[in-house]
Amino acid sequence: MKKIHIIAMVLIILSVGVLFMASNDIATYSTFSEAHASGKKVKVAGQLMKEKDMFYDPVKDPNYFSFHLKDVEGTETKVVLLGAKPQDFELSEQVVLTGKMTDEEFLATEMLVKCPSKYKNEEEYLKLEQG
Amino acid sequence: MNEIQYTGEHLIFGQIGHFFIILSFVASIFGAIAYFNAVQKRNQAISSSWIKFGRLGFWIHGFSVFAIIGIIFYIMANKYYEYSYVFEHVSEDLPYKYILSAFWEGQEGSFLLWMFWHVVLGAILLFKAGKWEAPVLFCFLFVEIFIGTMILGLHFGEIKIGSNPMVLFRDTAALPLFAKEDYVLQLAQFADGLNPLLQNYWMTIHPPTLFLGFASTLVPFAYAIGGLWTKDHKEWLSPALKWGLFSGGILGTGILMGSAWAYEALTFGGYWAWDPVENTSLVPWLVMLAGIHTNLIAKSTGYSIKSTYLFYLLSFLLIVYSTTLTRSGVLGDTSVHAFTEMGLENQLLIFIFSIVLLCAYHMIKGFPSVAKHEKEEAFFSKEFWMFIGSLILIFSSVLITFTSSIPVYNKVAGLFNYDLGLTSPIEPVEHYNKYQLWIAIFIGLFSAFAQYLRYKASNWDNRKSKVLKHVGVCLLLAGLVSYLTTLWIEVNAWQYIMMMFFAYFTIFANLDVLLTFTKYNKTKLASFTAHAGFGIMLIGILASGLNKKHISTNAFAQRGLLPDDMLGKNVLLLKDSPMHINGYKVTYTGDSIVDNTRYFKVNYQRIDKNGNTYEEFNLAPNALYDSKFTKIAAYNPSTKRYLTKDIFSHIAGLPPGESDIEEAKAREDSLNWRTFETLIGEDLVFSDTVKINGDSLYIKKFKAQITGINKSPEHPEYEQEAGDIALGIKMNVQFLEKEQVHEIEPVIVVRSSLLYNYPAQINDIALKIKLNENTLSETYLLEDQLSYQDFNFNQGQSINFNGKKITFAGFEQKPIHPDYIAEEGDIAVAATLQIESDNQVRTASPVFLIRGNRPFNLKAEVEELGLHFRFTKIDPNSGKIYISIAAQESPGKLPFEIATNSFRSDYIVLEAIEFPGINLFWLGTIMMMLGLFFGMFMKFSQKELA
Repeated sequence: MKKIHIIAMVLIILSVGVLFMASNDIATYSTFSEAHASGKKVKVAGQLMKEKDMFYDPVKDPNYFSFHLKDVEGTETKVVLLGAKPQDFELSEQVVLTGKMTDEEFLATEMLVKCPSKYKNEEEYLKLEQG
Repeated sequence: MNEIQYTGEHLIFGQIGHFFIILSFVASIFGAIAYFNAVQKRNQAISSSWIKFGRLGFWIHGFSVFAIIGIIFYIMANKYYEYSYVFEHVSEDLPYKYILSAFWEGQEGSFLLWMFWHVVLGAILLFKAGKWEAPVLFCFLFVEIFIGTMILGLHFGEIKIGSNPMVLFRDTAALPLFAKEDYVLQLAQFADGLNPLLQNYWMTIHPPTLFLGFASTLVPFAYAIGGLWTKDHKEWLSPALKWGLFSGGILGTGILMGSAWAYEALTFGGYWAWDPVENTSLVPWLVMLAGIHTNLIAKSTGYSIKSTYLFYLLSFLLIVYSTTLTRSGVLGDTSVHAFTEMGLENQLLIFIFSIVLLCAYHMIKGFPSVAKHEKEEAFFSKEFWMFIGSLILIFSSVLITFTSSIPVYNKVAGLFNYDLGLTSPIEPVEHYNKYQLWIAIFIGLFSAFAQYLRYKASNWDNRKSKVLKHVGVCLLLAGLVSYLTTLWIEVNAWQYIMMMFFAYFTIFANLDVLLTFTKYNKTKLASFTAHAGFGIMLIGILASGLNKKHISTNAFAQRGLLPDDMLGKNVLLLKDSPMHINGYKVTYTGDSIVDNTRYFKVNYQRIDKNGNTYEEFNLAPNALYDSKFTKIAAYNPSTKRYLTKDIFSHIAGLPPGESDIEEAKAREDSLNWRTFETLIGEDLVFSDTVKINGDSLYIKKFKAQITGINKSPEHPEYEQEAGDIALGIKMNVQFLEKEQVHEIEPVIVVRSSLLYNYPAQINDIALKIKLNENTLSETYLLEDQLSYQDFNFNQGQSINFNGKKITFAGFEQKPIHPDYIAEEGDIAVAATLQIESDNQVRTASPVFLIRGNRPFNLKAEVEELGLHFRFTKIDPNSGKIYISIAAQESPGKLPFEIATNSFRSDYIVLEAIEFPGINLFWLGTIMMMLGLFFGMFMKFSQKELA
């Protein structure tokens, strides 16, 4: 057997091992109740509840933005994002959060909002409908 | 039902355009078949006829692609909004220079851009590829068939193939508007235009470069297919290497531009985020690099030919995979910049499986005839270490692809009705870094050590001791410089220290090999530049990534209370009140507007221990408003660049009233205005009751006093125009718990019988004061409410009016009067009148004017005394002037409106980050690209067999 084949095999075995390790990092979406139970940092996806209050007053705290989200199980929770309110947040629907649950609220450090450009078109169409 | 006869449409372009779409598609099929036959019958005379047909197909295809692009460009430039693609990507106010960007903003346009580069590269190869023309061009046309289907826009019953960029807007949606025959005229106002975030020069240069990179991976791919197909496993290696180097350089540049864009113009706060879209364009590049290295081995030694085939085929395949991921909507949940779904998923899948089949077929058919080597590579041969380095690159690609493909696992499981619900790692950056840093360590090691070795380990026994000596010195140097570096940047984890060590090792080893180990030779320059660049890039990543520091965090207030990743990243800056954070004194000093962009000037001062400023600079991050100035469309950062670091800052938020006009109106409406009135000079005390915690009340008391009336007032938002009737009320306002007295001047203006209000906002005490019509009518009297008395006197004479002595001091031949604009033929003169009252002398200069044989007069007013003067007549014989004077009673109580608890409007929310050593990252990456291009030029200039 050639050295190169041995090395290639070692690399293949290694990559299987590393991939196995790496797969531990792959997350699954949690719900608010699971986040509550585990107390760990998790990802939660949900719908923005537009009818509920959103609060961002930079004069009080530029790193505190709160809103309400409904997860896949239908649990509504107040979310606090430790950061500024993103531009056009009101237009978004689906929100993916990374963070952890505290007693009453979900403390988020990262947030991914579905690109609002998709909804921009719909808005324009609505305007056209009226016009 | 009657068909509506629409007017104002330009249907001919869509018809011609769609004709060319179909033609380009048919021609690519025709050309591919012809070239296929040319390869199959390559040893027969008929082959050259097939080649001619193939060329015909290619040229027709190429011409059609150019024609499609030209037509789309034309309808976009002329803003024919009846076309859906124009409506979605162009708007009335879009500057001409962004038409190109708008063209490739959409999926159809970017597919066409990709096709465009395939045509350009294909045309070059058609002339240059020689005996490889048929298989290479076959691959090009084969790929063009699939991309062509994406814009085909044909419907077969329920099945839709591709999305036609020439489709009419009225065919895509059933809107009531389309019932009007002249609907086209109304579309302009609704057109979306190019996303403001994309309106910058990066959007002009990044996509074409990246797509040229994508297209370029097809060249080595096509040569590889050619080699396998014709079973000529040697000759294809030379041209494939040149094009591989070209592809590596251009694809790398494209990726790098994206990274620079993210860093410089977008507010992502970094140059690489391991986002799936970024990753899937990085992976084909890594595989291309692996291919280039095995290609070098294969050319010099004959080893690694199969690997070269495999890696080149894989590189293009991964481009197609990347395209599928980013364009099918699969990445929607995990990436910030994926396209949205367009119904092309099935076509993309067919594309990718066809490429897989093509590769698999040719590998199975071609591999058995690749020459086998009885002897294995020597341990101390260059090829051995280069090959392992290539395997490491592949290993890296496998890892990155594994995690980036998480959404694909969900999708596949979904096909079997199984919901995996997987998502990308919770800490994606840490996840990728912890594995990729080992890749960096090994590449650092191999790219250094392999440089000392020779192919086939020739003469190793004699060279051994010299090599070991040089390697030893470089290792020592690397250790020393690593230590010195830790004095500059913090490198805490041992893994990162190792990475730094091997990064320096490869820098020194490559420098050594270039200059001292053997004699300098310019052929070594390419390898040196690329590999040393790699090392420098690693140092840059360590410095800027590990030591990236938020300036805009109030660590004192928060550290200990919150975990580090939860520390606030933004600070609030009130206008003109400096904030001390992390060694800087940061002050927001004001804003200015240029076109649609509002710049916020932020002053940074670095403060030493004694409180002295030793460094000062200004940054102006900005907010881009939409065309109608109703809303902020995007925030753009501003960066101060030093050699050793960057200070990056951007606006994270503005007062809601400043960022959205609707919000501003809602806030204005929510204010509770109360009307007060007072005499000039009289104090007015008023109070406001604030509820605290439900029941307890808190009463705030304020004092206001009107100090004067100003009929030519100034206000930051008011620009004076001729004919304006303007009124400003000067006031002193004080919140009684504080010392400070605020001097303000709310303004009200009548312009062409419309009323404009310019309130005064006192942010510190959350108070807003405005005037109303009554204030105006109380101070401005109509002419018929005044009763004038007539006087006449000579120069030097005085009269007495209501106890005031008025003297005619003389004439002014060139009168200046706010309402007077000189015209040709005017005879105008002003009388200078001096008014003495309370030991004070004031001047008034009413104007007498003869224009076109008709006399006019322009009045002068002394506001403090309430006197109005008109210069009505002049007696040329005696020099007597006739003046009419009226006295106005001093105004009574002046009304004004006050809102307490108004919203602050004088702040910005700022994020500021320091990136040390970022320039090393750019230097290193640019060197890597230059190295690839050097290599390419050298290979192209060598007179080798094509």
